[in-house]
Amino acid sequence: MLKLFVRLFDRWTQRLPLQLRVLHRQFLLRVVDLEALSIEADIPSYLGQFAGILIMLSLCHAFGLMFFPPPFAETWGYEQARLADMQLVIGLCSVLMWDTTFPDKRDAMVLGPLPLLPRMILFAKMAASASVLGIAILALNFASSGAMSIVFGLSSNGFFRFFFAWWFTLIATSAFLYGAVLAIQGFGALLLSRRMFLRMSAVLQLAAFAAILAGRFLQPWLNTFSELTNPGYHALLGWSPTFWFFALFNHINGTLPRELQWVANRAWLALGLVLIGSVSSLALCYLRTMKNTVEQPDLDPAASSIGSLPRLGNSLQSAIALFCFRSITRSRQHRVALAFYWSIVFAIALSMARDTLASGPEPVSLGLIMPTTIMMSFAVVGLRGVFSLPVSLKANWMLRITQLRPTADYIAATRRSLQLFGVLPIVLVAAALALHFRPLPHAFEHVGFLAIFGCILVELSLIRFDKVPFTCSFIPGKTNVQVIFWGAAFVFLILGLLFGAYELQSLQNLRQYLALMASCMTLASSLWIFNRIHARTATLYYEEVLPEVITRLGITLLPPASLTEPPPASSTR
Amino acid sequence: MLELRRVSKHFSGIPAVDDVSFSALPGQVTGYLGPNGSGKSTTIKMITALIEMTSGQIFFDGKLIDDDLVSYKRRMGYVPEEPHLYNHLSGAEYLTMVADLRGLAPRLAGERIDGMLRLLSLYDDRHAGIAGYSKGMRQKILIAAALMHNPDLVLLDEPFSGLDVGSALVLRSLITELALRGKIVLFSSHELDTVERISNRVVILHHGKVVADDSIERLRTLMELPTLEAIFSQLAVEHDTDSMARQLADLIHA
Repeated sequence: MLKLFVRLFDRWTQRLPLQLRVLHRQFLLRVVDLEALSIEADIPSYLGQFAGILIMLSLCHAFGLMFFPPPFAETWGYEQARLADMQLVIGLCSVLMWDTTFPDKRDAMVLGPLPLLPRMILFAKMAASASVLGIAILALNFASSGAMSIVFGLSSNGFFRFFFAWWFTLIATSAFLYGAVLAIQGFGALLLSRRMFLRMSAVLQLAAFAAILAGRFLQPWLNTFSELTNPGYHALLGWSPTFWFFALFNHINGTLPRELQWVANRAWLALGLVLIGSVSSLALCYLRTMKNTVEQPDLDPAASSIGSLPRLGNSLQSAIALFCFRSITRSRQHRVALAFYWSIVFAIALSMARDTLASGPEPVSLGLIMPTTIMMSFAVVGLRGVFSLPVSLKANWMLRITQLRPTADYIAATRRSLQLFGVLPIVLVAAALALHFRPLPHAFEHVGFLAIFGCILVELSLIRFDKVPFTCSFIPGKTNVQVIFWGAAFVFLILGLLFGAYELQSLQNLRQYLALMASCMTLASSLWIFNRIHARTATLYYEEVLPEVITRLGITLLPPASLTEPPPASSTR
Repeated sequence: MLELRRVSKHFSGIPAVDDVSFSALPGQVTGYLGPNGSGKSTTIKMITALIEMTSGQIFFDGKLIDDDLVSYKRRMGYVPEEPHLYNHLSGAEYLTMVADLRGLAPRLAGERIDGMLRLLSLYDDRHAGIAGYSKGMRQKILIAAALMHNPDLVLLDEPFSGLDVGSALVLRSLITELALRGKIVLFSSHELDTVERISNRVVILHHGKVVADDSIERLRTLMELPTLEAIFSQLAVEHDTDSMARQLADLIHA
């Protein structure tokens, strides 16, 4: 069946124009920034691992639903959560592909002189984006949609109607989100000067990222008819795309209460507006701005810059720290990668701040300890992850030419950068949040613990990290994304809960708290010494190399006797 | 003195540089010539220790460079063949970073960077991103980064690439001036006229091997040829260039 489908698909694609197929393949590869990858990197494997995570999630949902179906009263909440998951994945994909659909200078310069129509480039780019989104939609829903249709569909208007309504809604909500991202960019490109657009584009991209994450994690689910029709939630229903498309799904499925018809209408309206806006802005961009892109001056005059940044340690530490800061703030790829982790940090901080503002001072509890600890973990781990992605590999020769100090000094400079841009901001945010908790000394004792915990994470991050941030090539296949994703989630949850409870207990007892701090400081110092000793003999490296693989041929060495002895009579027949 | 003794580099068993020996003296400009793919840039990268030799030795002031690589790097300036720079930094930020990596005192570094940017006509664009710089502007940044710490050994790989006429003239005089101040200058170039004007001696490489190593005057006398271009053509150009051009034109007309 699958082979037949693949054969039919191949036959269909062969009928497409050759130019479209060639361009589509090129643009699809560029969804991943090739410069970030080692020459030995395996892009399909890398994308496959992410698809694998989505498939795993879909299977988990499907099995969970089949064997532990939610109570009937929570059906709507469950559907809202799955829709929000879908919107999160599509929203993040759309933001990650932020610049890939619009013509850039490279396209204009390389493809401009070739006998290609602008619409061919546009179609190829859209097809490449649609391929990635299509993979994400299929991977995340192939199993869960069937399970939902069985569990919920059979108890309402039938399997097929539910299945059709669900997939229509998934495609509609994906088109809405992707179209919204395109429309924002398209009108920005049309209305602003290119220079202003490039500056605003980065800000808009981060804002969209934060909005999508915040929408998924901060939004409440409305399970019952009374909650959905409660006037107090009208504003939420009116502004949240999750509820628009939830209503649209129930409208198509025939399960929408008449009182909520206006929410479904809003989905149709939003979808229509976004599609018209994105298509028209894209078409105008290709017709108008492609030539303008080439005509833009190569050099953007800049009257000033933040030239007098403070010294951040000795000259080497200062050079590396400023290099890190500028790489994070100016490289789109690194900004987005870090935003993925930091958005979680900000989502937690914002939700804490919202709760804090809504109520008076509270006693120190796991409500302070757990979120701030998770924030610290994500901040440091995220920063360390982003440090592994290179900025411009070919420019690394300068660092190699100027390595006048031992490797230990470079690792110390990396440590300083992790502390400055990972630990320090979280300590400051935690200190601000701690002001809401009582007694204050206990709250600030936790902040002190958090700082030491951050230092431990920094030292753990530096183990075998014998490189300058942003300068070493990256082999995505080397890192098993699935293992890390599930492993980290498990470790964070279990260890976080255990340590959180223990720390809370320690805050009530000064002696126990001091013992905890002493243990943590000892651990941090031990790790520091371990890294320091390792750094003495380490050499900075700039290229990740895959370990050599020995291929076994499966040839078995037979004992000489068996070659010389005649076979037994029974085996000759 | 910079001295190469029987230096070789093989890539997957294929020799790119084969048994190369020569020396470059303080106060002299040594031109390093050869056709594309002859091994010039590979040799210079080995001298900078960016790539490892397959065999041979490189001495600087009588010491093996590998014995104290840090001291050697402290005294070396290098302009690479390709202007690879960190595009997300501005010109001033890049030079400041290099100065910090080299451990120059901030005040001294600031003065030198400002002065170099002004002299190289980059001062007005010092805060603009390198991504927007032209090839010539990038080349100037590379030259400034290579010279800001006052190196004793200056290695220039195609330094005139992308420079306008005025800047190229300035660089030509600068190379001579550096040699007059006792620096060792080794530079590779395809501009034979420039090499002839400013080099005290030339080393010509062909298929990874040294085919000539002498002063230009002596080469002229020995080979009874009037110009460096004629010497180079005889030693390192295998094909009849006119015939090759005709064949190319015929090919696209066919």
